[in-house]
Amino acid sequence: MTTLYMARTALAGAMLLLVACQKDSAPAASVAEATPVAKAAPLHIDGKWFAYPGQVDPLERTIDPPKPIPEPPLKPEYLDPWKEKQAKLREADKKGEPIASGYTHCLPDGMPAMMMGMFPMEVLESNGQVTIIQEAYQQIRRIYLDDKIPAWQDAEPRFWGHSAGHWDGDTLVTETVGIKENVMFRNVPHSAAMHIDERIHLIDKDHMVDEVTITDPDYLTAPWQWTWMYARHTGYKMYEYVCENNREFADPDTGKARLKLFGPDSK
Amino acid sequence: MIKRLHILGVLLLLSLSGLTPTALAHHSFAMYNNEKQIKFTGKVSRFDWTNPHVYIEMNDAKSNKHWTIECANISILGRLGWTFNMVKVGDEITVIVAPLHSGQPGALLKQITLPDGRKMGNGNPAGPPDPKLAEG
Repeated sequence: MTTLYMARTALAGAMLLLVACQKDSAPAASVAEATPVAKAAPLHIDGKWFAYPGQVDPLERTIDPPKPIPEPPLKPEYLDPWKEKQAKLREADKKGEPIASGYTHCLPDGMPAMMMGMFPMEVLESNGQVTIIQEAYQQIRRIYLDDKIPAWQDAEPRFWGHSAGHWDGDTLVTETVGIKENVMFRNVPHSAAMHIDERIHLIDKDHMVDEVTITDPDYLTAPWQWTWMYARHTGYKMYEYVCENNREFADPDTGKARLKLFGPDSK
Repeated sequence: MIKRLHILGVLLLLSLSGLTPTALAHHSFAMYNNEKQIKFTGKVSRFDWTNPHVYIEMNDAKSNKHWTIECANISILGRLGWTFNMVKVGDEITVIVAPLHSGQPGALLKQITLPDGRKMGNGNPAGPPDPKLAEG
């Protein structure tokens, strides 16, 4: 795979040089000046990505899916309440009375959940930045390359936090801090000091993984790790997603999700 | 017939290319009773092609009861071959739906039959129609 990529990259570089030469009929000196263009970072993970295997037809499932996400290694004082909450949510679903969640209020996933959001994801590579767009809620995450994340104490709390990254060969290595404490993945509580490390890379030209490691000195006894996998869908055009017609609401008394129903006048 | 085959072909291609929806949804569909699906015909009085969900408002022609029908969202339905102008106010449609557990006149769409006879699903998160109703 790596060899293939190097070959593709070399070919792309050669083509760029060729195009530069043809376009300007430039003398050798100008071509030399144009080398920064040829040296531009090769595209590693740029493209449209669907969750694998969730959003992929069974016929395409030729690669073993990643292992299920393990239970979070929460400290004992947090683990039991978390288990109880999860059990309550499952029970409510079973009873046909689901509890309202962030989605009920049209709130986006935030990090790290947006990396496996409801819908396809687009990765854009540009100079000094990798941008990731999740179709659901039009979530945008910007990873600044060769930058530094702020100390967590100085990081303004956000849904997607503050991400910095660098290329380690063909792997995008990122760090993220500054996730709002009410933005939770799988309802797992975390502190402002939560740190998300990711290693994002291809496993072949059409499959990508995100190896996620969460550390949190206040809530976790050990790093919480899992791998997400994606399949490439060249040519897919992302839909827009504006939560303009949210008819769901949380019952103020019970917290249960409810649906606003229209009358015979359709209003 | 040719049109139908064409649409089936598009759906097959979409399916083969993996453009099928995720197993997740904007929210839990647990408020709907999948075990007691019903089927009825009536005229569309409103069609909202919107996020986070697409909605159909219609009356059951037999009982004259008004229903709010929740569908998946624009992108899930779009990937299945639905379009924004596929359903219009005044269209007579037949639907198979899972009604709310609460007994209120709201339901989750399982399958719609359009005036031209095309049958469309509502994506993986919403699940398939009851085969007995789909055959009938």
